[in-house]
Amino acid sequence: MKRTVSGNEAIAYGALSAGVKVVSGYPGTPSTEVIASLLKMDLPGTCVEWSTNEKVAFEVAAGAALAGHRAMCTMKMSGLNVAYDSLIGIAYSGCRGGLVIYVADDPGVTAGMCEQDTRGFALMSDMPMLEPGSIQEVYDMAKIAFEISEKIEGPVFLRLVTNNSQSHANIEIGERVMPADDMPMPVRDTAKFTKAGAAICMAQHQDLIDRLVKAEKYIADKDYNRLALGKKGGVGIISVGIVNGYKNEAFEMLTGAGVNVADVTSLELIATVPFAEAKIAEVLTNCNTVVIAEELEGHLEKYVYLLAYKKKLDIKIMGKEDGTYKRIGEYNALLVCRGLCRALDIELPLFLVKTADSPEQYCAKRPIGFCAGCPHRGTYMGIEDGLKKSGYKKEEVFITGDIGCTILGISPPFNLLWTELAMGASIPLAQGFAYSRIPSPIIATLGDSTFFHAGMAGLVNAIQHNINMTVVILDNGWTAMTGMQINPGTQQSCQVGVWKQLDIVSVVKGFGVENLYIADPYNMNSISEAIQDSLSKEGVKVIISRRECAIEAARRKVTYKPVTLIPDKCIRCKRCINMSGCPAITLEKTSIVIDNSQCNNCGLCTQVCPTGAIVQ
Amino acid sequence: MGNYFDIYIVGIGGQGVLTIADILTLTATNKDIEINYYPTKGMAQRGGFVKAQLRIGRQPNKFSPSISEGGSDMIVSMELCETLRTIRYGKEGAKYVVLGNRWLPTEVMLGNAPYPEEELIVSEIKKSGGVPVVLSPELVPEYARPNLFLLGAAYGCSELNVFFSLEEIEDTIKNRWPRVAENNLKAFHAGMKAVNSL
Repeated sequence: MKRTVSGNEAIAYGALSAGVKVVSGYPGTPSTEVIASLLKMDLPGTCVEWSTNEKVAFEVAAGAALAGHRAMCTMKMSGLNVAYDSLIGIAYSGCRGGLVIYVADDPGVTAGMCEQDTRGFALMSDMPMLEPGSIQEVYDMAKIAFEISEKIEGPVFLRLVTNNSQSHANIEIGERVMPADDMPMPVRDTAKFTKAGAAICMAQHQDLIDRLVKAEKYIADKDYNRLALGKKGGVGIISVGIVNGYKNEAFEMLTGAGVNVADVTSLELIATVPFAEAKIAEVLTNCNTVVIAEELEGHLEKYVYLLAYKKKLDIKIMGKEDGTYKRIGEYNALLVCRGLCRALDIELPLFLVKTADSPEQYCAKRPIGFCAGCPHRGTYMGIEDGLKKSGYKKEEVFITGDIGCTILGISPPFNLLWTELAMGASIPLAQGFAYSRIPSPIIATLGDSTFFHAGMAGLVNAIQHNINMTVVILDNGWTAMTGMQINPGTQQSCQVGVWKQLDIVSVVKGFGVENLYIADPYNMNSISEAIQDSLSKEGVKVIISRRECAIEAARRKVTYKPVTLIPDKCIRCKRCINMSGCPAITLEKTSIVIDNSQCNNCGLCTQVCPTGAIVQ
Repeated sequence: MGNYFDIYIVGIGGQGVLTIADILTLTATNKDIEINYYPTKGMAQRGGFVKAQLRIGRQPNKFSPSISEGGSDMIVSMELCETLRTIRYGKEGAKYVVLGNRWLPTEVMLGNAPYPEEELIVSEIKKSGGVPVVLSPELVPEYARPNLFLLGAAYGCSELNVFFSLEEIEDTIKNRWPRVAENNLKAFHAGMKAVNSL
């Protein structure tokens, strides 16, 4: 069946056609749609879940693979950092059923966070990492990843980048294969599935090394890496994953400029790790110059240097080491073409040369902010008000932020947050500043999903060590920034099947927090008062600011009492805009104007209007 | 133009930028024309920069989803100043079909930051060898969704008709929203008409 799907959906369908039993993951752009699309399907026989965090997701999938099923877990690159502790352990142990870890990197940083190259993780744990390019290849490789995993009896990475995880193409999709209903009682094998003693650990290390060799042979036997030899003694190019497409287009550009590209040796790799020694060696012996085209780090390039040295080949290697390409940013066809022109010693064809102007510099800046009706707006307005009433200027108060929509308190008009690090890091990071005795009250803010993900351990630590700080949990009931995923705190009626809601208030109470405030962000004063009171108390204080995400509430037709503007009373003081930054309010000639298509009647603007021109 | 057509579509979240790309993707798929559609939404639900790259007629199995600098055959922009972000991608002679909407960021609204004049945008397009086609937002009829109006304009002044007949695009629009088909088709035709009477 032909279907137009995104790269992420292609992975979902690929896993289904491989008979996957368990798919677990944590939302993270650009990887989210694999599980999001699976959860929309009716899939009896397969367990699909949003897990609490990526480490948990990996462990759930690993358990199923140890039992003998095919299992997959999904995450963005930052999530792999979280999951890696357990992942490397399973890489050493190996698995029985196919185990595939899908991770999406983000060269060019479209979604924020570190521009890291997760291929480095594959190197560290000696794990094969498939890097498909086109959407059809993504689908095919999703299945092949399971086959390789079972062949070598170890976990396999499937790595996409934003470019192919997010883009859509019409591809051929096969039928779903049903997984086995159950598995027999597993064999107890402590030499494989524990790390009990040096002998066991070192035997596992040897097994791990052997597995990668097996994977290299499997890929070579199947001829997945595509080699086209060109003129002997000429130029060659080795590319991998998404860059293979850029290379093809660069060849087209060169053809347009009269270059005979059949002379150029080309090796398209479907993986950096395992290194395709035999085919890379063929390229190196055929060429006098070789261009290495890989996004981000020069992992492939360094191996090529090593192989050239081992084989005593006098060959010119062009890539990042000689400055032909950069280690940052997303690549494109033109960039690859520039490198090839350099290798071929020709000028870049004129029709490709664009002026060096950058007209985008004149574009109006558009800092991202809260949606109209977002409850987080009320929380930050309340924090600002509470600080002021406690006698602080806001620039004098140190507040750590965390990952997710809650970080937008960093943007104007709030400008309240000082740091953004990693899921749940706001609380321990703030603790470090508390120990440092900086001249400021210490406040940490984070969202509900972030709290469950990795925030709880940090809160427990702060409570145990009796740190003077205020923790604000902005609980909107959803993992919102990645596009509304269910988390443990999502209301029961929106949980899937037998899933159960956990109540953050009970969790925090259970930790023994004495000063716990529950406030409503649509009532700015309730937040302000909680802040003021918390700043006067010792130890860890927690404010839970609760109100459902406005987008999700609107989808379920939740309505609020209408907000109306009395234009005659508006004095155009701009206070509502300056305090709230609400995108539904614009300043017009005689008064402000509220855009009813955006406004959800949250009423926050009415709470700051000095003349009563906005009423609810 | 060869057998390929690359389009760069930009605007602000909430304007329906991705719908323009959706309609073209569906039409291509219905006709079995190769297409790759690459949306980038960024982090904002609404009010942030949104772009979509459409590559029509290229085998997605061989090429990548990204359009290189100087590689786009046409630019479609739903917001005046966001057009500036596309200029490095336009080919020599590429048409820039721009809806002259101004979606002001808060700082601009408060008078704390500048917003470029239309003349600057037009001159930057021309300087890069592009052909500006700027449509005033006043041309969009009251009943019409601006994105479908702009799609009509883009169709009416480009080589898109080499790939898709008018009926084929109309069918996609009709089938996408059957209940409001008539209105949407009117919006599309209003765009075509507006661009042809410039």
